[in-house]
Amino acid sequence: MSLIVVDDLFKSYGKVHAVDGLSLRVEHGNVMGLIGPNGAGKTTTIKIILGLLRQDRGQVRVFDEDPWNNPDIRHKIGVVFERAYFPSHHQVLDYLRRVCRIYGASESRAKEVLALTKLEDASDRTIKALSAGMLQKFAVAHALLHKPSLIVADEPTANLDPAARSQVLDLISELHANEKVTFLISSHILPELSRVCESIAIINKGKVWASGNLEELSVKLGAKATRITTDKPGSLADEIRKLDYVNRVEEDSRGVTVAVNMGEDERLYDDVPKLAKKLEAKIVGIESGTASLEELFKLAVKASG
Amino acid sequence: MGKGRPFLEVFASALRENYRFPILEIFAFLYAFGTFIFAGLGVLGTVAQTSEIYAHGLVNSLTGMPLFIFVILILVNIAYGLGNDIERGVVQTLLSYPLKRRSILSAKLLSALGIAILLFLGMQMLALFVLAPDIILSYFSTVLLSYLANLSPALLIAGIVLLLALVLKRGSVALVIGIVLYFGLSIIGSLVPFLAYTGFDITKAYAVIAPNMALDRYYSGVGLPFDYIGRWWIPSFSEVLFYLGAAYVLVAVIFLLGYVYFERRLGI
Repeated sequence: MSLIVVDDLFKSYGKVHAVDGLSLRVEHGNVMGLIGPNGAGKTTTIKIILGLLRQDRGQVRVFDEDPWNNPDIRHKIGVVFERAYFPSHHQVLDYLRRVCRIYGASESRAKEVLALTKLEDASDRTIKALSAGMLQKFAVAHALLHKPSLIVADEPTANLDPAARSQVLDLISELHANEKVTFLISSHILPELSRVCESIAIINKGKVWASGNLEELSVKLGAKATRITTDKPGSLADEIRKLDYVNRVEEDSRGVTVAVNMGEDERLYDDVPKLAKKLEAKIVGIESGTASLEELFKLAVKASG
Repeated sequence: MGKGRPFLEVFASALRENYRFPILEIFAFLYAFGTFIFAGLGVLGTVAQTSEIYAHGLVNSLTGMPLFIFVILILVNIAYGLGNDIERGVVQTLLSYPLKRRSILSAKLLSALGIAILLFLGMQMLALFVLAPDIILSYFSTVLLSYLANLSPALLIAGIVLLLALVLKRGSVALVIGIVLYFGLSIIGSLVPFLAYTGFDITKAYAVIAPNMALDRYYSGVGLPFDYIGRWWIPSFSEVLFYLGAAYVLVAVIFLLGYVYFERRLGI
């Protein structure tokens, strides 16, 4: 079941097309990452999904409702904004209790989320007295108050030190594993996204250029490759090019690099020894590799111009 | 949970931000000080032909400085409580709660305007009860009418500042424009009789924005010789009510536009 369905979304600010025909689905129980360069349209997309902005065209459904017109769906959504702002003269614990009452959640939950985010010591401080990192942790605590089944987070680890980042990422993994919470996370910190996300959507110029898990993205972007080290790279490359499931073949003095269609790795592993035997070539090594998210991101941005 | 609870929580939160220590205390002191000083002067200094005119004159003299304090308070509350909250992202957080947009705006306005009006009128009524109890008891409708007429320009400017804060998403700019408008309106108000004398009569147009002008003229005409009345615009009582109604329709339209914009157009 898709919790978020975005179809052919458009949003412009004057002459700038922030979102330009973007489509996206986030399935129940998934942790999806949104990546893209600055100005790619991630935050605008997230704001439309949350009902904070109205799209010019296209359809957005969250829990099968239009988020702009149905504030009740926010009972099921937790939000972490990139820059967290709250009424600054409230005390931390008091404000969380107030938000519990807004959601109809038990007030004891306020202390629970402070413990989860290691902010118990700050419970008596006013919000304006929190440091940037603590404020970000407070935003995470605030998003968890009503035990949402979907959390939308725009740069949730911004302003956090490495230890706090790790805590937040662990918390995301834990909530996903134990409570099947669905996440849509936008971040610039790609290793973090690859650590927690099951699938990734790469956005640039207001469009999703590729989406899927790392392996699917690697294949789609031609970044998954098998490296064959051999003494006859030229003739082996010629034979491999004749295989119908092969996308790309590159040769150099020491071997051949081959990209195949999704799920065809085994066939290549079967076929290469046969071809080598036919050519009387010596196979020194054969290994497959998946590109890192950073490499995929660069490829997608390059492909999208 | 009732639908009203989230609204009350947002309202309570806005109250805490708008009237945090020592803002409420300072304004309460200024109101009390200003009101009783002006009330004292008003009671001593107001001379009128009838008790009804005396009641109106007393309200006019009483509202002077406290009304200015009231205007500053509501403009600051709206500009900073709403404009700056939009600018800084607090409204974005509020909009992530399961509340209708109109409930959020109502809670904010109730705190910014409602409490300020309550504070202002409460202090004024108290002063009238203490200093001129016979007037407020005998001429309550005149007192009420005079307050309505005095408050409408302030509410109109508050509505304009609300619209500006929503559209510009900049509280400070909206506040500056609001204060300039308020002083501009006061200056024009004092020039209206001179302009009328030179043949450029904008009295009626001005009375739509500031109906106290019509009420003042109405009471100034009571007991005057007929030939004198002919030289100035002296409205009838029904005309006064018309101008007062028109002024509040204008205020309502401006606030309604604010609501429509906040509910249907405002992207955060």
